[in-house]
Amino acid sequence: MTAAPPTHVLVVEDDPHLAAGVMENLRAEGYEVTVSPDGERALDWLARHGCALVILDVMLPGADGLSVCRTLRARGNTTPVLFLTARGDPADRVRGLEAGGDDYLAKPFHLQEFLLRVRAILRRWDWYRSASATSATAVLRFGGNEVDFRAFRARAWNGEPQELTEKEAMILKVLAEHTGQIVSREDLLERVWGYDVFPSTRTVDNFILRLRKRFEKDPGNPRHFLTVWGVGYRFLAEGEP
Amino acid sequence: MKATRVFQLTALALVVVSAVQVGWWLFDQHAYTVEKVSAARTAYTEQVAAAQALLDSGAAPARVQQLLPGIAISTGHASLAPALAEALTTEEHRRYRQYAWEGSFFLLALAACIAVIARALREEARVREQQDSFLALVSHQFKTPLASLQLSLETLALRAPSPEAARPLIDRMLADLARMEQMVTQILESARLERGRVDLKSEPLQLAGAVARVTAQLEERARQEPISISVDIPSTLTVVSDPLALDVVVRNVLENALAAVRSAGGGRITLSARASEREVELLVRDSGVGFAPAESARLFQKFSRLRSGASGYYGTGLGLYIVRRLMELADGRVSAQSDGPGKGASVRLIWPAALMSAAAPPQPAAGQETRP
Repeated sequence: MTAAPPTHVLVVEDDPHLAAGVMENLRAEGYEVTVSPDGERALDWLARHGCALVILDVMLPGADGLSVCRTLRARGNTTPVLFLTARGDPADRVRGLEAGGDDYLAKPFHLQEFLLRVRAILRRWDWYRSASATSATAVLRFGGNEVDFRAFRARAWNGEPQELTEKEAMILKVLAEHTGQIVSREDLLERVWGYDVFPSTRTVDNFILRLRKRFEKDPGNPRHFLTVWGVGYRFLAEGEP
Repeated sequence: MKATRVFQLTALALVVVSAVQVGWWLFDQHAYTVEKVSAARTAYTEQVAAAQALLDSGAAPARVQQLLPGIAISTGHASLAPALAEALTTEEHRRYRQYAWEGSFFLLALAACIAVIARALREEARVREQQDSFLALVSHQFKTPLASLQLSLETLALRAPSPEAARPLIDRMLADLARMEQMVTQILESARLERGRVDLKSEPLQLAGAVARVTAQLEERARQEPISISVDIPSTLTVVSDPLALDVVVRNVLENALAAVRSAGGGRITLSARASEREVELLVRDSGVGFAPAESARLFQKFSRLRSGASGYYGTGLGLYIVRRLMELADGRVSAQSDGPGKGASVRLIWPAALMSAAAPPQPAAGQETRP
């Protein structure tokens, strides 16, 4: 862990035993931990405090974890969310990630895997923040579009303002860091989501379609987000000649 | 399961087709009778006309009568013999009655079959839905203490804490096991109640004794929360119930109150009782999270978990269902009331009072003789 102030994690879990177990282990790893027994109190807390990660139980009394995450995202809060849930089938995972979650862990889980996933999410966000830290890297300009990575906002070529989701911003960041090079779907998955979170690499394709819709003059005939058949994608800032 | 369903649907289809056929047969019979009767009437009308023509041409009435025996002749006028007209009407009615009876009997039988099969199909769908939600709920409810148990064990393995540091982890694991055991007990209890496989006794029991036994078990946990439990029950109150069922009822209602108060971050539970001539009433009030007044009946249904209710730390959605079933079997009643979410709740349990006519007047000594 960094020597600077400890990374703050919010644990939203209604089961006191599980909350205590998670809290003790995160503290033992050097994180600062706050526990909230329900979604409303967690949203209250998040309105007044910042943290590096939210660990969110899906089945909560009152507002469930998914709606808490949606509310958080609707407020423009991009803090990464790791869902904990008793339901672990693929459809539930996708629902959690669609609600704006970063990762999904089914109960009962292995302690070491849990800690690994926490570290992986924080590492991805550390990379994203440090890669967008300087004024040179915080803003990307291409084909009349302007993307502000720190504010998750963009202005498209036609002057339309765009609100980016954190995943869209991260994908764009990875592609921009490798301008002109081919980036495979697997690399994008690994860099943006971590391992085995999504059932398929098709998800990446959907996100690229969304980016094209936002930033290409003719999304059907892209000039910046190019498909390299069977491999992945290539980003060109200048646009394909 | 699937084969049964296919069989039921096929049977339903056959019965519906049979009903339609019977309906068609009825219609056909009616049309046939109408046609035949009308043909007979036309034939007789023609005979009357022929008889009249013969009479008008000067034929002797006796000769006409001999040729056309169904015709009555009086003062030169031919008409249908009254006996024949009546026989015709009687035959017509007899046929109507016959197929109306037969047809409606078959239609009724078929309608009953359709109702029985449709009911079975609906019931099956309901049971399947209930089983699905039961499985989902039970797996969720089991996975939480299981996850906590696994986390505690893996923490012990990973961090090898000192015996003092390990103590709270071990306590937590024991409590998780107790939670799971309680869930298994509740699931079995409700399954037995569902199938009616219970053999309940009816004995006079001291209410205060049962409440004291249950509160003694829960006091330690309540103190940690912090939740205060106060009891005000005259030791003279005696109810008629099964001793085990009485304990289960009181325990489940108290567990529920504890969960509601715990979700509200602590508070108060008060138990009070009073007796009327025929009944004894136990009132359990809590300062917990409460529920929407409209949800009060749903509380006692199987697997009901209220949106605005307690976090269900111990809940399987079966606790209050078991209470209701046991109270019904003891000829008692149970109801719950709340002014709304966040406003606390009260549960009212009513048992038939023990009849004191044969026994000595109520005295404290009699009450202390409680069953284990």
